[in-house]
Amino acid sequence: MHDDHDELISRVVDELRAPVALDPAFDARVMAAVRRAAPGRWRLALRWWTEPRPFRLSPLTGLASAAALVGLVVLGARAFEPGQAGGAASTAPGVIVASKEGGSEVVQFVLVAPQASTVAVVGDFNDWDPDRTPLHATAGGGVWSVNLPLRPGPHQYAFVVDGKDWRPDPGAPRAVTDDFGAPNSVIIVGGKST
Amino acid sequence: MRHFLLFGLAIAGAGAAQAQDPRLEGRLDPTTQAAVTGVLDSARAAGLPTEPIVDKVLEGMTKRANPDRIVAAVRTLSTDLRSARAALGPGAPEGDVIAGASALRAGANTETLERISGVRRKAGLSVPLAVLSDLVARGVPVDTAATVILHLAQGGATDADYTGLERGVARDIGAGAPPGAAAAIRARVAVTEGQGNGNGPPPGVPGKSPREPRATPARP
Repeated sequence: MHDDHDELISRVVDELRAPVALDPAFDARVMAAVRRAAPGRWRLALRWWTEPRPFRLSPLTGLASAAALVGLVVLGARAFEPGQAGGAASTAPGVIVASKEGGSEVVQFVLVAPQASTVAVVGDFNDWDPDRTPLHATAGGGVWSVNLPLRPGPHQYAFVVDGKDWRPDPGAPRAVTDDFGAPNSVIIVGGKST
Repeated sequence: MRHFLLFGLAIAGAGAAQAQDPRLEGRLDPTTQAAVTGVLDSARAAGLPTEPIVDKVLEGMTKRANPDRIVAAVRTLSTDLRSARAALGPGAPEGDVIAGASALRAGANTETLERISGVRRKAGLSVPLAVLSDLVARGVPVDTAATVILHLAQGGATDADYTGLERGVARDIGAGAPPGAAAAIRARVAVTEGQGNGNGPPPGVPGKSPREPRATPARP
């Protein structure tokens, strides 16, 4: 009886010790599944932000946080109101009233013209003379600008690219009149209190 | 008699020299020169500002416009200046007359100019009328623009209020708002802020009365 038992155990052990034949692609499939399942750094970061989690907050801390959030929103909204931005009041993307000089205001004219060789601004402030007020390209090229003191009031102007191409300022309103087939832009300098 | 004739010729020559702007000398053909000089003389005799007329000629020359087109442009401008002067009164400053002419070209009528002038003459009309033209150029219907400008004038708006309105409307339109609605809403906000700053509200608000334009800025 005892011998039969030993023999049975011996057969089971032999069976268990026998090598198992595996599919040659098994390792590759397992590793592919492992790599696919492992979340990347960004996925982990996203999961950290998106997974809900409980946290504890006292009523006082909650109220203070809400008040701080409302304050930030109000301050942000005020910062985007006209005339609240501080030093430079932009009347248009292409025209920036930078500072005041005596009775005039220094206005910065800007034109993006990457292909241009020369750019000038002409207007009622320089007798429409293309030679009088050239714009200067920035170090990287493409963005042309010049600062010019202008008297308060409305002014009409345009850019002259490469001496022959007339362009209105893309960031400023166009003059309602176009007597000569090449529209002008308008800037209102001033806004001083009366 | 001979001396009298010489004196007359000298006076006439002096007048011609005065009519000729040095910036135009030798730059126009004789026919165009004569036409432009005639317009300038006429404007000067009527007490109208001549600088915008010279400026228009210079613009046309720089843009290499046809001489006929230059003459037509200065004649139209002269007519607008004359109409603006008539609407704003003989004592109106040149800047106001020029801005008034621009507003007329934008589509405003002389009655609008008269009404704005009646409310805001002392504070100057150059900026409000320029903003009126600007609003129309941005697509605001001229009637709406005129109403908004007049509404602000009646509320005692400053030049800064007008330029602030112009910037706000430009921003709203850039964000996709209809131009007319943007102007109306911005004007309402400006008037409301004016009330908060101690300025009188515009007429039409029940129980309130208009006040004179204020002398202090609305904002720093």
